[in-house]
Amino acid sequence: MGKILIINGSPRAPKSNSKQYAALFSKACSWESHYRDLTRANHLELCQAADEVSDVLFVFPLYADGIPVTLLNFLKTWEEYGSRQKPTVSVLINCGFLEAEQNNVAVKMMELYCRENGLPFGSVLKIGGGEAILSTPFRILVQAKIKKLARAIVRQENRTFQVTMPLSKKMFLNASTSYWIRYGERHGITREQMASMQIEP
Amino acid sequence: MTLIVSDRHLEVPEIQRAAIEFIDLSKLKIANCVGCFGCWTKTPGKCVIRDDAVQVYPRIAASDRLMYVSRVRYGSYDTIMKTMLERAIPVQQAFIRLHHGETHHFQRDVAPKEAIIVGYGDLSAEEQDIFRQLIARNANNMNFTQYRVVFAQEQDLEQTVRNEVLTWERS
Repeated sequence: MGKILIINGSPRAPKSNSKQYAALFSKACSWESHYRDLTRANHLELCQAADEVSDVLFVFPLYADGIPVTLLNFLKTWEEYGSRQKPTVSVLINCGFLEAEQNNVAVKMMELYCRENGLPFGSVLKIGGGEAILSTPFRILVQAKIKKLARAIVRQENRTFQVTMPLSKKMFLNASTSYWIRYGERHGITREQMASMQIEP
Repeated sequence: MTLIVSDRHLEVPEIQRAAIEFIDLSKLKIANCVGCFGCWTKTPGKCVIRDDAVQVYPRIAASDRLMYVSRVRYGSYDTIMKTMLERAIPVQQAFIRLHHGETHHFQRDVAPKEAIIVGYGDLSAEEQDIFRQLIARNANNMNFTQYRVVFAQEQDLEQTVRNEVLTWERS
């Protein structure tokens, strides 16, 4: 039976959607799992923890079309540390855009990293609409795919899955606009203010 | 406005001669984006972290000819450039539009750009290919109307940048 270390690579790890995705994964996975937020101060601790497990799952959001720099920094540290256990690396990535495929390049970066460092690459789940999907009825679709991801990792099947909101692009645009208007309102900011064209006004 | 943003110092006199604005990120103090969405939902267009990044992203937005010079790591910009690009999201709105058939953020006042991306390091063909794919995605999110990706070994980097500056001068 394997053991999996779940590393949350989100820059806002303690309050992130990635934390919720990781919690759903822990619940779905039959293996013993350990969850850690990635912080600036715990790189070495995580490198050591990764030597005690069979698998590592990185959970993170797409940032500027790629891997968030918080995670990039850790990957560099892990490379320098030199993994002894060589755990299988799997990826659960989410982006706020409707198209889960927008995560593809970041997944390729992770695959390349694993190849360059002799780490087996495992399974992938790419999530679209990932900023809001957990607060919609489509949450069950994510839960189902996370279960599949967990099963694939346990069975060492190396599979790739993706999920997004089953909406037309037009419906998604309307839904996301409403989502962000509500988000701004919580801070007393109107739609017009949020749509300002000024930069550093 | 023509701008070069580099992750290291460059000895290229042609940059000064052509009056190109040059930003050396390695000399600046720029913290990581914390993903708070403040620049979208609290102080639109303005990052809540008031470090050197707030001087850089308005210049990126204003430029119509732009060169990024960055080491490439795992097919990504290395961390110095990536940190800055993540901190540049105040130039976008939270709101999403359809752009080239995909969902992307609306831009604020961001000039359309001709971009040259110089990736340097000892790069495999696969790493170059992933980096090209990254830049193709960036083009949709950073208002590139045209772009080219150029690769260089580190020891050839200054000559490569010099050649690109001369090409700009001739155009």
